Amino acid sequence: MRCLMCGKDMRYGSLKDILYGDDVLCEACRNTWLKKRIVCAIDGVRVQSDYVYNKAFSQCLIQFKECGDEALKDAFLWGVRKKLKRRYKGYTLLLLPSAKEKVEQRGFLHLHEMFSCLGLEMLDAFEKTVNISQKTLSAEQRSEMKHTIRLKEGIQLPKKIVLVDDTVTTGATLSGAISCLEKRNHVIEAYCVSANHTWIR
Amino acid sequence: MQCKRCLNEDREWFYKGSKGWYCRKCIAFGRAMVEEEEESVSLCEITSGAYEYQLKYPLTPAQENVAYALREAILQDDVLVQAVCGAGKTEIVIPTIASFLRQHKKVCFAIPRRQVVLEVAERLQTYFNTAKVIAVCGGHTDVVDGDLIVCTTHQLYRYAPKGIDLLILDEPDAFPYRNNEVLFGISKAVRKGHCVYLTATPDAYLKNEIQEGRVICLKLNVRPHGKPIPVPRVIKCPMGIGLCFLIRWLFAHKQHPRIVFVPTIRMSVIIGRFLNLFLHCSICSSKTENRDAVIEGFRKEGNGILIATTVMERGVTIPHADVCVLQANHSVFDEAGLVQMAGRAGRDFQDPTGDVLFLCTEECEMVNACVQALEEANLSCGV
Repeated sequence: MRCLMCGKDMRYGSLKDILYGDDVLCEACRNTWLKKRIVCAIDGVRVQSDYVYNKAFSQCLIQFKECGDEALKDAFLWGVRKKLKRRYKGYTLLLLPSAKEKVEQRGFLHLHEMFSCLGLEMLDAFEKTVNISQKTLSAEQRSEMKHTIRLKEGIQLPKKIVLVDDTVTTGATLSGAISCLEKRNHVIEAYCVSANHTWIR
Repeated sequence: MQCKRCLNEDREWFYKGSKGWYCRKCIAFGRAMVEEEEESVSLCEITSGAYEYQLKYPLTPAQENVAYALREAILQDDVLVQAVCGAGKTEIVIPTIASFLRQHKKVCFAIPRRQVVLEVAERLQTYFNTAKVIAVCGGHTDVVDGDLIVCTTHQLYRYAPKGIDLLILDEPDAFPYRNNEVLFGISKAVRKGHCVYLTATPDAYLKNEIQEGRVICLKLNVRPHGKPIPVPRVIKCPMGIGLCFLIRWLFAHKQHPRIVFVPTIRMSVIIGRFLNLFLHCSICSSKTENRDAVIEGFRKEGNGILIATTVMERGVTIPHADVCVLQANHSVFDEAGLVQMAGRAGRDFQDPTGDVLFLCTEECEMVNACVQALEEANLSCGV
């Protein structure tokens, strides 16, 4: 089995790779990710995340999302999936939306692939009203993005939900999604795989 | 199963996604589906009259011999043009490029280094002034199709599979192309016909190919001005004394632009700071942000000092330059690199002499081999 990022054959890797070799990344690649539990609150909802959005993580995420490398889907939650399975038992995962064109271009819902290893119920309940990639926007412009997310019509939301995303940078998408759910009687949690370093306090 | 873009056949690198099998080895260039029925990419037609060219200087008889031999040989086989630094490798392939353009065939000039792409594209545009010469490299990717494409080896994937009739691969022994299986595969996948390799220092792979008879080797050991290649003076001394030699050398060659090669980026910064105490100098490494501007400034200055790492070792022509390599025995350098660095000196027609100084801290096999190779090249052409 090869490491999905560097391509090294893990049968000849480090001692850890050989003994506990069921990770999809080799030890060296895994160590470039900075694991850190970050908890913050956005609009009164607790948001938890496990990694810092550093260069190595963003590189992996870009290869997964932009290059369409579906093989990487298990790399993101590999070390935390058992914990998440326990924590969110009985919840339904609500996937935060991507731009429609991007989804068509990729041919798969990247969050759906990423979180499918948890075996929890998933719902793609949101949609974007405008097609703008957030990458090009500044922080102020991003906060405007709040109003561009809406719930799809005719969707029945369960009682306990978790909003999930790959990364939280300014929190604009999350707070937009949360505002869609206001005045409804839900138990809302949120989980992002990584968080921008500005969220570390 | 084989990837059409990087020609990878190792099953471990393939993955079946929601849309079918794709190759993960060259995933950095975007996803290439394996089962897609795409025979070749379609590129635009060559404009008529694109083949007319005008050289700045006519080819010397020695260059002409190689140039015409190349034009014939390329029809049968891959060709390596092994010519010393500054022998005019770019000019030698011009007749071949012209003959392909005349037949309305697509020619691509691929170079590992981005810096060199811009320089070569500019030079080719002055030779082929009616053709549309396109430079494709990081930061210049808006237009990717023209009569004559000059690109980095990382941009070749745009023309795979089989978009190029003649591929000219400059400096195939240079980083990042060297030892990179993906780029090697892509360079094979883009071409319909044969390939010309241009280098002063062929690596083990090319040497092997020549021995097996798959590649024809054409040699040119003399620069167009007929003067010998500058052979480096080697001084072995401890680092501190070496710096004194360096400063003396820098003052002694005041009238010329001087390039000081250092092994590491960190050292380029330290040496740069140190030298800035007495002399004005600029630094150029892969971490330098406005590298193009720095080199342009150095070129304009005419007698400046440039502290450079190995990013500058190849393909850059700076007239009248003198070269010093600090810590030439450092492990980041290799024989090919040293030959190339020494080759930065004395490239000008009017001023064919240059001074090259290697400062080592200890006896080194690599440095000796480099000096020997240059001396042999000088001997073989009788100058």
